[in-house]
Amino acid sequence: MKRQFSKSRPVIWAFFSSVKLTVALLIILAMASVVGTLIPQTEGVAEFAKGLSPAVRKLFVFFDLFDVYHSLWFRILMGALTLNIVICSLDRFQGTWKRFTARPRPDREKPFQDIPGEQTFVIDSPPADMAERVHDYLAAKYRKMRAKEVGTEGYFYAERGGYSLFGVYLVHMSVLCILVGGLVGSFLGFEAYVNIVEGESVNTVVSRKERSPIELGFEVRCDNFTVDFYENGTPKEYRTEVTFSADGKRMKQEAIRVNHPAVFQGVTFYQSNYGTVPGNTVHLSISSQGGGPGARHMKVEPGKPYSLPGGEGTFSITDLRTNIMDIGPAAMVSVKPEHGQGIRFWVFKYQDRAKKILPGPMLNSPKFNASAFEPYTFTLAGLDTRYYTGLQANKDPGVPVVWIGFFLMVAGLFVTFFISHRRIWVKVSQQAQGLVVSVAGTSNKNPVGLQREVNTLTLSLKNLLQGDRQV
Amino acid sequence: MINSIILSYTTFIYFAAFFLYLLCMVMGRTGFGRLATLATLVGLIAQSLAIVLRWIESYQLGIGHAPFSNLYESLIFFTWTIIFLYMIVEWRTKNRTLGTFVTPLAFLAMAYASFSPGISSKIQPLVPALKSNWLISHVITCFFGYAAFGLSFALSIMYLLKQRDTPEKKNLFLRLIPEQSILDELNYQMIVIGFLMLTLGIITGSVWAHSAWGSYWSWDPKETWSLITWLIYASMIHSRMVRGWKGRKIAYLSFIGFCCVLFTYFGVNYLAGLHSYAK
Repeated sequence: MKRQFSKSRPVIWAFFSSVKLTVALLIILAMASVVGTLIPQTEGVAEFAKGLSPAVRKLFVFFDLFDVYHSLWFRILMGALTLNIVICSLDRFQGTWKRFTARPRPDREKPFQDIPGEQTFVIDSPPADMAERVHDYLAAKYRKMRAKEVGTEGYFYAERGGYSLFGVYLVHMSVLCILVGGLVGSFLGFEAYVNIVEGESVNTVVSRKERSPIELGFEVRCDNFTVDFYENGTPKEYRTEVTFSADGKRMKQEAIRVNHPAVFQGVTFYQSNYGTVPGNTVHLSISSQGGGPGARHMKVEPGKPYSLPGGEGTFSITDLRTNIMDIGPAAMVSVKPEHGQGIRFWVFKYQDRAKKILPGPMLNSPKFNASAFEPYTFTLAGLDTRYYTGLQANKDPGVPVVWIGFFLMVAGLFVTFFISHRRIWVKVSQQAQGLVVSVAGTSNKNPVGLQREVNTLTLSLKNLLQGDRQV
Repeated sequence: MINSIILSYTTFIYFAAFFLYLLCMVMGRTGFGRLATLATLVGLIAQSLAIVLRWIESYQLGIGHAPFSNLYESLIFFTWTIIFLYMIVEWRTKNRTLGTFVTPLAFLAMAYASFSPGISSKIQPLVPALKSNWLISHVITCFFGYAAFGLSFALSIMYLLKQRDTPEKKNLFLRLIPEQSILDELNYQMIVIGFLMLTLGIITGSVWAHSAWGSYWSWDPKETWSLITWLIYASMIHSRMVRGWKGRKIAYLSFIGFCCVLFTYFGVNYLAGLHSYAK
């Protein structure tokens, strides 16, 4: 067993530490994401699926193509990428650490091979404290520096930006951070919604995924909902004033707007939509043909029985809709005569519109005839409505982890791309024509920037060592 | 609506700039090049002025907001970033050939914004979802990303054209294009800047979405396509940094990357989603 393990490990290790795999995974993930944007996900699935043949539909369902981003295979790809990132980083970290801690000897000759002429200059009468000056200058400019004297020659080595070697690890860690934050959110958090009618309270919300109620452990009351419009009719602001209370005590009052959610006990409430529900008053008018008691307007409370104008029996409103089939408000009137069968029918506020929208057979049935109980004709004059606010209620303890990931990613990318590990060598040797100073440098990226730095350094050293000018 | 008038003139200024850059490369006269730079600069200044005027005008209408709220305004800003970035590159590299390949992008975007019948240049009030301080940082980072990728796309075309240049060929146009190694290095720099900006754009968008829609990531088509673009450029950077891919391969990948950018910007409008106000 042991041997097998140690034998198989390098193979897996090599597989997951390859950057080829990274590139392949990134491209596969990109293509999978493309698929997810072309096939309807969650919304509109039913309509799309209707147009597919049963076999294709089965295939789609088998591969979770209607929910790509939450499918097992997508998660396996993400898992593989995670493993790839971790193993790649572990695999390369030792080398990076070695490079970071390496202290190259100052008296190396190799950096000075092939340096352009302008990186060397001669000083005729060097100052006595020449070595000190160079030393101090470099020490002030670079955090790490070493000097060495070999005979008449002085060598200096300085470097900066070594930490940039770790930028890559920071970026990779940030990706892990974001993925972990996402996992934490999907296991410990929830996404839910709740509709609250003005003046009412709730203590549960409905989970979007399972469509099951979630106990909040506190109460949310919708005190007031308003919607404002611009002059051109587009919405300007939705605003819900809520009160949170726990154990019967009012704890917090807040206004929720789009972009301004409210947080209470770890649950965040967002303004998501709104609508209206019938209020407690229905305005009905009842007229009668042929010598009845005449037209009459009544304010009616739904569910309560009222006597008919002529005393033939009672009626009540048994169903109310603020908008039915795009016709507008509708009420169901149930008439209970003292003698004979009861009857129920819909009464619309906009009868003309109902006649246009509803199909003929429906209109002819007594269920849609407002004059079905003779001699009366019922008309729906109006309906008091109340707003309800639609709130999204989310709990996601993973969010801070994701935010940390975002921060690390930006910092890491910045360090990786824009800060380079630069090493500078300076050689000072006493020769026949005077003091010969040479400057050389290497960098892991941005050769143009390095050249600029070496040129400035050469110039500064020249100024520093020329004549007896005091610095 | 003085701003829209200035902006439609800018379209022609950028076209003139393109023509002058082209003339400079075909005839080999620096005089045309100087004029081209001048025209581009005039265009950029006029456009900046128009954007500021539009911003002020929206406040005068009582619906004040940064001019980044619909497709018209975003196209204007996209053009502005691409020309702004190009001017920096021209100034730093002291080479005008890239202008011939970048100004058409700016001109096309401006022409699309100014003359497409489906795009309204009216200043519209902000819908509640866009009323956020994140709007400005999100739009600026995203569009600088797009612009850098646009420049990378232009540099890739130049790289592939330069391949046809041989010493015995006496083609002035090709000879004026910088060395392939320089183009490749510049291309990579643009990709890096674009990648950092796109990352920032996705992050600011994500933080914003968290406060507006309740979730920092909801697989909305625009979000997903920006991730696709990010993944493509990430794989490009990996293949270059670790596997040493250079030159032609990077140029081709940059094509694919820019196609993703364009789809993220325009194509997504044909898919339903939360970013529908960008139509």
